[in-house]
Amino acid sequence: METYFLKNDDLVKFYEHLAGDYDLYVPVREKSPVKRGECTCKAGLPTDDYFLKKFSQVRKEDIAFNDYRAVEPTRAFFTHYKEEACEYFEDAGAKEKIERPVALCGIKNCDLFSLKVQDFVFLGGNEADPLYKSRRDGALIISSDCPHFKEVCFCRAFDINPYPAEAFDFNLSPLNNGYLLDIATQKAKLIAVSLKKLLVPATLGQLSGRRAKRESVNMRMDEHLSQYKIPKKEILQDIVLSGYNSGIWQEEMRTCVECNACVYMCDTCHCFLLSDASSSGSVKRLRLWDGCLLKNFTKVAGGANALKMRYMRLRNRYLKKFDFFVSNLGYQACCGCGRCIEVCPGKIDIRRILRKLYEEKYLPAA
Amino acid sequence: MKKNIYQPLKTVIEEIIEETPAIKTFRLKPEGGFKFATGQFIEMAVPGIGEAPFTPSSDPGISEKLELTIMNVGEVTAKLHSLRPGEVVGIRGPYGRGYPLDKFKGKDILIVGGGVGLAPLRSLLFSLFATIGNYNKVVLRYGSRSPKDIVYKTIIPEWAKRDKVDVLVSVDIGDPGWQGNVGLVTTILGNAPVDFTNTLGIVCGPPIMMKFVTLKLLDLGIKPADIYLSMEKSMSCGLGKCGHCRIGKYYACKDGPVFTYEQLKDIHDIWD
Repeated sequence: METYFLKNDDLVKFYEHLAGDYDLYVPVREKSPVKRGECTCKAGLPTDDYFLKKFSQVRKEDIAFNDYRAVEPTRAFFTHYKEEACEYFEDAGAKEKIERPVALCGIKNCDLFSLKVQDFVFLGGNEADPLYKSRRDGALIISSDCPHFKEVCFCRAFDINPYPAEAFDFNLSPLNNGYLLDIATQKAKLIAVSLKKLLVPATLGQLSGRRAKRESVNMRMDEHLSQYKIPKKEILQDIVLSGYNSGIWQEEMRTCVECNACVYMCDTCHCFLLSDASSSGSVKRLRLWDGCLLKNFTKVAGGANALKMRYMRLRNRYLKKFDFFVSNLGYQACCGCGRCIEVCPGKIDIRRILRKLYEEKYLPAA
Repeated sequence: MKKNIYQPLKTVIEEIIEETPAIKTFRLKPEGGFKFATGQFIEMAVPGIGEAPFTPSSDPGISEKLELTIMNVGEVTAKLHSLRPGEVVGIRGPYGRGYPLDKFKGKDILIVGGGVGLAPLRSLLFSLFATIGNYNKVVLRYGSRSPKDIVYKTIIPEWAKRDKVDVLVSVDIGDPGWQGNVGLVTTILGNAPVDFTNTLGIVCGPPIMMKFVTLKLLDLGIKPADIYLSMEKSMSCGLGKCGHCRIGKYYACKDGPVFTYEQLKDIHDIWD
């Protein structure tokens, strides 16, 4: 991997260059009107939100470096909430839409972890999903370090660092009056050829400066997370399986309003439903994001429903993330981004649930 | 042109056979034929209404026609039941893992079906009959709610006449014309003419029936690894991607729909 220094003023030039070949999305800062309670660790955690917006539709002065992950899950760029999967009995090739590839800036390490889960689902198995594959193959990922984190961020609890080490094309690490730019793939190298004027090889001092910044954010996050005592990733499967009959599921579901926001905002969730759109002409098959917290998720014809109670659906979600994926993929389907915590109107908190499951098994009250 | 994995194949309904007031067998003629292994399932689409998973009931050895025996129980099946020969449906598949016939050699095969659950088992029976020399015997025990709910009424007596094949049908509630056995299917398993130490149990039917048949087969001495269950779940994509049909660490559509009880016995609530 090669690392260069890019000056602050040249970042937009870098973006402009990418926008020539890609639908480029860049981070934009927005003050969010809805905030959760203050953090008790008094770390002075930031609360602004970032959204990834189309470069061609934002004012240059509104483009920001996002200090942490964006609001929307990265998967939304690769499977859309509602989209056409196919048209029945038509020649699929004749109507194949050509999409411009996307370049995504401001992707964080939690998002990259989640993309590994999405890749496992949509590229793995007997057959790859063609739409996902074409978007994923075409995409350019410009990830970046997190110099800060939100109150809800807990990636470090699962040994995911707030800075990427792999699975990106470019990575930006903010440093002094610019950025260190890692060039990781052949695709990125080819792009970088025409950017040579903007790039200066990184010095050892700059690399060591980045290391110090990374260590600092690690330390601050570890201090923040110490209050939550989140169980280690190695024990997650054990505690969700042994907690199957626990009362925690019912306790925690009391405030759930079944909005499914946690599922839709989750970057590792992938479930979908195929549904036909009734129209007078040809028939369109839609692929819609679905979620296991919705009451009809497992309902079959005739009315039987394996997950008829809300607590069963919450438990199912945890079993999927921490049992199914650990068994099949080797690690949990949770990246610690905290989006589910942030959007939940019932204040259902995955950190708290995992801790309670752990305590119930390993620290039962005397 | 890239293959679209969600695209159904246009197929004409050639014939519709009324099995019971609520169950029909649809004979399709897929263009270019359709190959599947017994126990695998397909997704069948009624244009504009949607798709549902079904396991074919026809002989896997005959690829020119594909038969599906379907109960009118939901939105897709209600529309299917209103269709007539000559109308068009879509099919995708086949998907999943079927019955591992190579593991059946030299065994007594005890097949237990309930209601429309005999449909996938009919396909299995055709496969077993074609290779009957490989097995000691094939015993079918079929339970139905009432005599009028029995599927394949004309073909079942023919199976009973075959060498090495034993058939017994039971109904939960008889009627004045019914001369056969009355009682749940679990009551006619103990006297099955098989050596339970060398028997495979194959079960398909409603979840509650599968649960109690499985418990009975275990009681009779069949090992969990020798009991094969065809699991019914909400399978939307059939490809292990949509996430609806998870059973523990498995997806019914990809790792099943045929599982051994050994695979499932430690998973909670498998019969729900």
